[in-house]
Order: sequence, then C-alpha cells, then structure tokens
Amino acid sequence: MVEVKNLCKDYGPTRAIDQINFTLKKGDVVGFLGPNGAGKSTTMKIITGFMAPTSGQAQIAGFDVFEEPLEVKKRIGYLPETPPVYPDMYVTDYLQFVAELKKVPAIEIKKNVKIAIEKTNLGAVANRLIGTLSKGFKQRVGIAQALVSQPEVLILDEPTVGLDPKQVLEIRDLIRELKGDHTIILSTHILPEVQAVCDKVIIINKGRIVAEDSIANLGRLEKGSSVLQIKLRNPKDLNSLLSSQSGVLQISGSLVDWEIQFDGKDQVHDEILMKLVQTNSGLLEFSPKKLDLEDVFLKLTYGQEAKL
Amino acid sequence: MNSILVMTKKELKGFYFTPTFFFVAFLISVILSLLYPVHFSMFAEGLQMAAPGLSGHQQSNIHYGLFLRHLSYLNLILIFIVPAFSMKLLSEEKKMRTFDLLLTSPITSWDIVLGKFLALSGAILGIMLLALLYPVMTTLLVNKIHWPSLLLAFGGILSLSLVYAAMNLFCSSLTESVLIAYIMSVVLNVSVWFVGVGVEAVDSQTARQVFEHISLATHLSGMVEGLLRVQSFVFFGTFVGLFLFLAERVVESHRWRAL
Repeated sequence: MVEVKNLCKDYGPTRAIDQINFTLKKGDVVGFLGPNGAGKSTTMKIITGFMAPTSGQAQIAGFDVFEEPLEVKKRIGYLPETPPVYPDMYVTDYLQFVAELKKVPAIEIKKNVKIAIEKTNLGAVANRLIGTLSKGFKQRVGIAQALVSQPEVLILDEPTVGLDPKQVLEIRDLIRELKGDHTIILSTHILPEVQAVCDKVIIINKGRIVAEDSIANLGRLEKGSSVLQIKLRNPKDLNSLLSSQSGVLQISGSLVDWEIQFDGKDQVHDEILMKLVQTNSGLLEFSPKKLDLEDVFLKLTYGQEAKL
Repeated sequence: MNSILVMTKKELKGFYFTPTFFFVAFLISVILSLLYPVHFSMFAEGLQMAAPGLSGHQQSNIHYGLFLRHLSYLNLILIFIVPAFSMKLLSEEKKMRTFDLLLTSPITSWDIVLGKFLALSGAILGIMLLALLYPVMTTLLVNKIHWPSLLLAFGGILSLSLVYAAMNLFCSSLTESVLIAYIMSVVLNVSVWFVGVGVEAVDSQTARQVFEHISLATHLSGMVEGLLRVQSFVFFGTFVGLFLFLAERVVESHRWRAL
C-alpha cells in the first residue's frame, strides 16, 4: 500500500531525512517514533505529496507521489501538525468543503460528513464556527477532515497533541476502530500511544530509521541479560549469598530491596529463587524486569549519541 | 464538482456570508452617495452656463459630465478595496496552515489560483453592481442615457479591476502577512496609474509609444468613451494572465521549499 524507497530530503545544507526505506501492507497501523526534529513530519509531508523529495521515491497504492500526485492525494487523508481549519467556517460546511476538495462523489458527501462527525464525536458542535472551538475540538475537526473522504491511507501527524486524557483515549479507540479498513501512519513522541494502537513501529532518529519492527519484537530487542527485582521481609546480604552463584552478573541494593542482573538463563533464574526460599528470607517480590519500549527507544535514540 | 468551482464557492461564501463585505459595501455606498448628487447638481448647473475647460459638446453630455466622474471615483475606491478583499486569500492560508490541506488535496495549483481569482472577481462584481445603481436611479430624472456605452464604460472599469485582482492575488501569494500583502497590492495598483506619466517624461518617439501602450489608462479611456477595441481586451487579458501565472508559480513552488 505504501512503499518508500531511499527517500532523502535536504533543507539547504542540512539533511532532514536520509535514505528512508519501508513498506506497509493494507490495514497496517504504524507508529513513527522519534525525538523532536528527527524527520517524522518531513517524511509524512513527502508521502502526502505536500513536498517533493530531494531524491528517492514514495508510492501509494502503486502511484508515485511525484509522478501522479492527484491519484495519490485522492487516496490519502492527512492531519498535519496544526489542524488545517478555517476559523470562519462552520464545522459541517468545512467538512463538506473538504469532501468536495477530495473529490468525493456528490451523492456520498452528506453521508461521509455525517460519519466523520459521528466518529469524532463532533455532533454537539457541528453547527458552530470553528474559530470558537477549543483546541481539543479543533484537533478533532482536523481528524474528521482527514477521515471525511474515507481514504485508503490515513496519515496523522501527532494526532493527540493538545487533547485532554479522556479525548486522548477516545482518539486511540477511534484509531483502533479504523484499523483494518485503512492503512494508518501516525507519528508521535508519546510511547504509550504507540504501544496502545500500533502493530508496528518505525523509530527514526536524525533522519535515519534506527529500528523497524513489531512492538513485541522490539521489546525483546535487548536479549542476553535480564534483571530481577527482589523484595524481602527479612533483611539479608545477597552479595554474600549469591556471590558464588554462576551466571549472576551484578548485584545491587541493600537490606530488603535488591536488583540482580543475570545472564537470562532459566536455570540461573530458578537457582536464585531456590536459594532465597531455602535461606528463609521471606520473599515478598521476585519479578523479572522487562525492557519496555521506552528503554528501547531511549537506547536507540539517545544511546547512539552517548556512544559518539 | 469541478475543483475550481469548489474553491470559488468556498471563497464566495467567505465574502458574501460575512458582515465584513457588507460593511465595506456600505462604506463605499456612503462615499458614492455623498459624491454623486454633488456631481449631478454640478452637471445640471453646467447645462445652464458654459464652464471653461470642457467643450460645449462634452459639457452637455451626461456621460462625460457625470458618469465618467462617477467611474473615476469608483476606480479610486477599487484601488484600495480590491487589496482588502484579496489580501487574505492566499497569505492567510499559509499563516493558518490550511495551505497544507489544499496542497494535499487532489487539486492543482491552477485550480487554487483560478478558483480564488473567480471568487475575487465575484466580490468585485458585487461592488460594480452597487455602483451601477447610481446611473440606473438617474434614469428617473434623465431619459436620454445611451446604455451600451455606459455598460461598456463599466466593463472597462471591471476589466481594469480584474487586473488589480490578479496583481493583488499574486501579492497575497508572496507573503504570510496580510498587512504586507495589502501594502504591496496598493502600491502596485497605484503604480499602474503612474506608468502613464512616462508618456510625458520621455522624449523618444518609440519610448513614448511603448509607454502609451502599456499604460492602462490609455486602454481604459477608449472603453469609457464607448469605444470597444480588441487590443484593449487583449492587453487586459495578458496582464491578468501574467499575474495569475506568477501566482500559480508561487503556489507550486511551495512543494520545493523548505518550510
């Protein structure tokens, strides 16, 4: 559905994105993740045909964004960073205007506008001027605008910025609801958002893709060592107790709270557990600490800089 | 629906469904209503005693004595009003980031520019019709009005204001600030009138002819006098075409810019 090959974009002497490659299938929900200024928005602007790439190609549904922009633009819905709304228009009129712009057949316009309003819960403000709406509502009008042509590909640039927590949840539910019918690309720097709605993550840093995988796989990225979090009722010196244990890499903590890093083998895990139980330590907590997306993200983006 | 018409419809609604347009139209009618009766009575007095400057023929002709003045005031007003209508058309799109929507919609840059130009022409036409009310009302008092030449004179002012519209739309495309767009537009509109001064400033015969030809006033005066010349239409047409082309280029160039 979406195919990006060797995409580069230069802003004068600075290279904003560098050799970006990825392919998405129909129905994929992909999160673009990266710190500010990583090139997320630039990539999205090129895919939407808003901007021309310096080199490389992007295709949507088999149409090149540069060679056949009109065909591509019919098939996408795009929510830019700032919702593109006219403050002096009424919500319904605005959505109707967008639907006409996107060449929705005349008989379907009314229906599409109604659906978009329903999906984004805009019913209460449908007859108000957009300029009088709050930021969260404007953002929702922006999302409704992207949906109104029922596009095959939805591109959302930071869709939940400026919304209150309840609205954020609603938008996430909405995105989940849209899954399947549409291919969705959404950019964000909020990690739980990606975890909540996306099947696949593309992490971009300094214009390059540093990781591209499913969420589950990325979580397992850091193999080879695991951390155990241990809480005891009776204070014990685990340094002396486990120093002889093979496979243990590092022991830290004191009295009742400990953290043990080991090589991740099941046998070592079991042996540590046995020892703690046998020495009557009053084991309260024994939990393997999983590396979550946040750690992966920080490691991939900021870790790289630290190494340099 | 055709994309140009979609654009035009939206912008026309923006003009005619907002109080600003009607407020501006009201102010224009205040100015014209103050001036028109004054000129009318001056013309009526002039009929009785010959005033110096005008030949007897022009003196007694209502088209010269009244309508021409009316139209020149209308033109003066349009120099300042057309920029006010046009200033936000493209610059505000950029400022409000709604340009992103237009450029990611399946429409071409020509659709955007032509759509906006047509809407702007529609707004100007509204003002023209308002100004046309004055001569129409005059028929209550005067029964010898030569309508074709009067309408042609209005057509002349209309084509001139289409030139303003195209130039001002181009100005609006250049900047994100409506104020800068307005000032640039007014300067361009006014300078169009100063080109004619070149006719008197140069000595060479060829240069004079060139200035005479590019002066909008030369072409306008013919139409105002009821003289329909094809070359004038071609001239106005090329002016409009040139500036619409430039505006289209500026809109298109956004794809290549680092913004």
